[in-house]
Amino acid sequence: MDPTVSMYVSQGIHGIAYGMILFLIASGLNIIFGMMGILNMAHTAFFMLAAYFCYAVVGLTGNFWLGLLLAPAFTAVLGVLMERLFLRRVAGHMSELILTMGISFVIVAAIKKIWGTESLPLQMPEILQGMVNILGVSYPVYRLFVIGLALVILVFMMLLLYRTRLGKIVRAAVSDRDMVNALGININLVFMFVFGVGTWMAGLGGVAIAPILTVFPGLADQVGMDAFIVVVTGGFGSLTGAFIVSIIFGLLSSYGVQFVSQFAPVLMVAFMALVLAFRPNGLFGVKE
Amino acid sequence: MMKNKLNIVLWLMGLVLLALFPRLFGIYYTNIMVTLAIFSVFAVSVNMLLGYTGLLSFGHAMFFGFGGYGTALALAHIPGIGLLPAIGMGVLAAVLLALILSPLVVRVSGTAFAMLHLAFGQLMYVLALKLYTVTGGEDGIANFPVPGVFTESLKGSPEYFYYLAMVILGVSTWLMWFITKTPFGQIQVGIRDNAKRIDYLGYKVPQSKAVIYVLSALFAGVAGSVYGLFHNLVSVDGSLGIGMSFAPIISVMIGGVGSFFGPILGVVIFQLVDELILRYTESTELVMGVILIVVVMFMPKGFVGLFGLLRDKVRGGGIPKAEKEKAS
Repeated sequence: MDPTVSMYVSQGIHGIAYGMILFLIASGLNIIFGMMGILNMAHTAFFMLAAYFCYAVVGLTGNFWLGLLLAPAFTAVLGVLMERLFLRRVAGHMSELILTMGISFVIVAAIKKIWGTESLPLQMPEILQGMVNILGVSYPVYRLFVIGLALVILVFMMLLLYRTRLGKIVRAAVSDRDMVNALGININLVFMFVFGVGTWMAGLGGVAIAPILTVFPGLADQVGMDAFIVVVTGGFGSLTGAFIVSIIFGLLSSYGVQFVSQFAPVLMVAFMALVLAFRPNGLFGVKE
Repeated sequence: MMKNKLNIVLWLMGLVLLALFPRLFGIYYTNIMVTLAIFSVFAVSVNMLLGYTGLLSFGHAMFFGFGGYGTALALAHIPGIGLLPAIGMGVLAAVLLALILSPLVVRVSGTAFAMLHLAFGQLMYVLALKLYTVTGGEDGIANFPVPGVFTESLKGSPEYFYYLAMVILGVSTWLMWFITKTPFGQIQVGIRDNAKRIDYLGYKVPQSKAVIYVLSALFAGVAGSVYGLFHNLVSVDGSLGIGMSFAPIISVMIGGVGSFFGPILGVVIFQLVDELILRYTESTELVMGVILIVVVMFMPKGFVGLFGLLRDKVRGGGIPKAEKEKAS
C-alpha cells in the first residue's frame, strides 16, 4: 500500500485506540451520573491511581495481566468506600461536585507523595509488543488489544444492562429511583454497586493507557479532561453519545496532532462548543 | 438610631485603620493586605455567581487571567498609556470574553455549567501557553511599566500602590454589595431558588443570568488586573491555572456561600492557612483537598453559618433556626 495512505490508516488506528480508552473512562463517569446524578470529579484521579497501582503490581510480580486484574478492582473498592463514607453524607449537586474535587486533590497529592513526580515507564507484556501486518499496513499490537478490550467491556456492559435482572433494576432506578425504592429494592446497595462498576471502568482505562503514555501525575489532567469533555459533548447519562463522541475525539486528537500539532487540544473544545451551541444538553442528552 | 451611629463609628475606625495600615504594620503586612484585598474581590465576584445565582464555575480564572493579560499587554505595547485606561483594557478583555461565552453558558446550569467552564478555562490555559508570541508562553509577561495616576511610575513605592489598590478594590467591593441589594440582585436569588417561578413572574431568566455573569467577569477582571500590576508579572500558571479557579471557590465555601461578607472572611482564613501550611509542607493540594472535604461535610454554610449558629444559641436560648423561621 502507498506509504502516505498507510500512515493515515495507522494514525486512524491510534485515534480509535485513544477514543476507546476515553470511552472506558467516560462511560464509567456516565453510568454514575446517569444513575445518581453525581458528577464524580474524582473519577480521573481514580483513573490515574489505577495506572500507578498497575505499575506497583508489575514492579512486584512482573506480571502485567495481574495488574490488569487487580488495579481496577482496587479502585472499585476505593470508589465504593468513597460513596459510602463521604458522598452519602452530603446533599446537593454543589456539595457533591466540591467534595469529589477535594477527594481528587487528596488522591493526586498522595500519589505525588508516594511515587514522586517523574514519569514511570510501564513495560507491556511481550505478547503485546511489536507490530502486526494486516493488508500490508503494520499496526502496533497493543493498540489493537486496547480496542478489543474496550469492545469486550462495551458488549459486557450492554449485556449486563439489557439482559439481566440487575440491569433492569439499574435502568429503572435511572428513570425513577423513589419508585424503585418503594418496590422494596435496596437502592443504596444498587448505588454502591453502580459506583463500584463506574470506578472499575475508570481503573481499566488507567491500566490500558499506562504502557502508551507512561505513568505520571499529569495523567489525570491530560486524559481526564478529555473524558469530561466527551461526557459533556455526548450528553450526560448517554452511553451511545459517549461512545460516538469518544471515537470522534480520538480521531480528532490523532489527526489533529498530525496536521495542526500545536492546537490539537483546541479542536476538541471547539467541537464541544459547536455541539453545545445547538444542543445545550449534548448530542444525545435529554433535558433535565 | 444608636445602632446606626455605632455602625458609622465602626466604619470610620475601619477606614482610618486601613489608611494608617502601612505606617502601623510595615511593608510586609501591607503587601499581604493587598493580596487579601485582591482575592477578596475575586472571591466575592465568584460568590455573585455561586452564592447568589447558584451557578458554579470551575473556570473563573479565565476572567481573572484576561484582566491581567489585557492590562499587561496594554502597558507593554501602548506607549504612554495611563494606569486607569490600562486597567480598563484588562477589564474590557474579561467582559468581552464573558459576552462571547454568555449566549452559550446561560442556557445550561448546574453540572453542565461547571464542566463547560472547566473546559473553557483549560482551553484558555492551553491557548495562553501556545500563543507565546503574544502571551510570552510559560514565562508570561514581566517587567512592563507601571505608571501611577499622578506619578511617573509606581515601581518601588509599594505604599502608594497600596492606597491605589485599596481604592480600586474597595470601590469594586462596594459596587458588588450594591448590586446584590438592588431588585435585580434579588431576582438572582430567586433564580437560584426557583428559576421557573421567576420565569412565570415575567422576568427573563437567561438574560438576567447573562447580566450577572458579565458583571461577575468584570469584577474578576478588576482583581486580575490589579494582581498583575501588583506582581508586575502575568503568567499562565499564576493567573490562568486551575488552582486559580479553585482558590476562590474554596474561600467562598470556607467563609459561607450566599453571604456577602462570608467570602472575604474565607479569603482571610484560606490565605492564613496556606501561609502557615507552606512553612511545613509543599503540598498545597493536599491541604486544599482536606479543607474542601471538611467544609463540605461538617459545615456546609461555612464559618458565617457557624457564627450564625453560635449567635442563635446565645440569643435564642437554643431554639433551632429552622423552627424560628417557620414561626415568623
